[in-house]
Amino acid sequence: MSWELFADPSLFRLAVAMAVPLVLASAGEVLMERGGILNVAVEGMVTLGAAAAFLAGFATGSTWVGFTAAAAAGVLVASVLAHYAVVWRQEQVTVGLTLYVLCLGLASLLYRVVVGVRLSPPRVETLQPVSLPVLSQVPVLGEVLFRQHALVYLSAAVVAAAHVLLFRTALGLRLRSVGENPVAADTVGVDVFRLRRAAAAAGGALVGLAGASLPFTLTGTFTEGIAGGRGWIALMLVIFGRWTPAGAAGGALLFAYVEALQFKLAMTSRAVPPQFLQMLPYLFAVAVLVRAYRGAQAPGALGKPYHREARA
Amino acid sequence: MRRVMWLLLVSVAVAAGLPSGAAPARPRMAMILPGVIQDADFNAVGYQALKEVQATTGVQTAHSEQVAVADAERVAREYLSAGYSIVAFHGGQYLTIVQKLAPLFPDATFIMESSGQIPNLPANVWNIGRKFYEGFYVLGVLGALATRSNKVGYIAGIRLPDFVASLNAVFQAVAKYNPRAEVLYTFVGDQNDPVKARQAAESQIAAGVDFIVISVNLGTVGVIEAARAARRPVLLTTFYTDKSSYAPQHFTASLLSNFGKPYVEVVRQILAGRRSGYYEMRPGAGFGLTPPKNVPPEVSRRVQEVWRAVVLRQERIEEVTDRIVERR
Repeated sequence: MSWELFADPSLFRLAVAMAVPLVLASAGEVLMERGGILNVAVEGMVTLGAAAAFLAGFATGSTWVGFTAAAAAGVLVASVLAHYAVVWRQEQVTVGLTLYVLCLGLASLLYRVVVGVRLSPPRVETLQPVSLPVLSQVPVLGEVLFRQHALVYLSAAVVAAAHVLLFRTALGLRLRSVGENPVAADTVGVDVFRLRRAAAAAGGALVGLAGASLPFTLTGTFTEGIAGGRGWIALMLVIFGRWTPAGAAGGALLFAYVEALQFKLAMTSRAVPPQFLQMLPYLFAVAVLVRAYRGAQAPGALGKPYHREARA
Repeated sequence: MRRVMWLLLVSVAVAAGLPSGAAPARPRMAMILPGVIQDADFNAVGYQALKEVQATTGVQTAHSEQVAVADAERVAREYLSAGYSIVAFHGGQYLTIVQKLAPLFPDATFIMESSGQIPNLPANVWNIGRKFYEGFYVLGVLGALATRSNKVGYIAGIRLPDFVASLNAVFQAVAKYNPRAEVLYTFVGDQNDPVKARQAAESQIAAGVDFIVISVNLGTVGVIEAARAARRPVLLTTFYTDKSSYAPQHFTASLLSNFGKPYVEVVRQILAGRRSGYYEMRPGAGFGLTPPKNVPPEVSRRVQEVWRAVVLRQERIEEVTDRIVERR
């Protein structure tokens, strides 16, 4: 086995494309968790986003309607979670797990109702690669980064925007203060409830878009279990990235690289059992998480309901 | 006397109107499926077979989808206790469940699927043996003759005996019909994950493969997307159903499965009182091949000749289910 295998440009190109759903979902989760809302329904929301995107795109023939439907589905589910967490001050993990199951069932039901039983799978057009002028001609990097579909570029922009918003703007400071110490934020006039709901909605939209990226960039159709655990991985990436969009995106690229590598290794090395290679991305995730969790500091009020009248 | 005659007449009329408890009731049949019937693939053709059984034999039918092996016994017991006398398991993974339940429910008849004859099955079990590998051999011949890069890909999901045998058949076909070509294969670990299937296909295409024999179910759509995104032409084959309309410029041939034929025949035999037996699905008996497209006419003609030879058992194909035998 040659070491060149690990530096194969086609491997990096595949990893960048495959990282998109992880990047979007983890960026959405960072926004929510920075505001103090722990959303464990990500996997279900990604699945529901994929179903909503596919069905809307299939029914109308429009990719953009599909993306809008996915974002709307994400906002809806996140708003339900935020309402339970912010207004009714319910246990967020319990509500999140309930929503996770609800989303999986709803995605399946919607698909059955709209599509029914077919011998030929319905499909939507997938986004084709767009070569960026000049940049796509750069050796190796051009192929890896600048001959990708539009959602790759959009994901990079989303990560940059979320990072700047959180760490370079007054709004980001207020959001972080709401997630760290809502009592202190409230005393200086920050509307904790409104900001938490807004962060949840924005995060939910990104998680929904992560779902939409699966049928619109990778498969052209919806299948049950299409999320394939990517929502759970996104939750892990938030910790890996220490609650920063850029850090989570870096983790997403690493995970996608290891995921793509398993298929390269499977073709070249017959000595390693395929079952072990299939475990590789998840072993990597566990190993990295153990390492990354050391010293990681979650937002102080993450998962805790804020009650203005409560006594300390 | 007139009153007695009148009473007799009324009694006969009432008796005729009542549901007859003595007359044999039409059996009811349940099918247990491993996936969703919307998969446009293995489960959809199983469901279609069940509907065909209902339409042609009049047997009342029901089905359960997404039944994992661990749940199959419970689901089957529920049907049996509800009075279903025929329980069919669509998929080769339920063998141990059938072997356990059949002796416990001697009045019921079970239908199972496998890769071939299984010795010592209980006396109330019908076995449908599916010789996929013979069909995949022909797809391997097509790959061997159509590849220009001399690299044929094979993408499967789970390492089941059926798929191992099919891969070995592709190896045999390529070794015989194009010894210069090599076979690159990947087991992605899931028959229905199109994302993983796409990743595997992209890796194979990047390694030079220009012909992929698809042996996944819903994962097929991921392979199709990889072929569509490739910079050079990549040809594909699929099985169970014809998916060529998905990517007409990429598909060559489809190995079609008609489970309706064996299921209808087996249920007819059960209704006639024969409660065990073996039905073999193979090329010409439940498996069909669509005429190859997107390949030169001589390749298409040669492949159809090989298909006919396989149907007539004139082509020697070794069935190896327990290990992968790479041939160069």
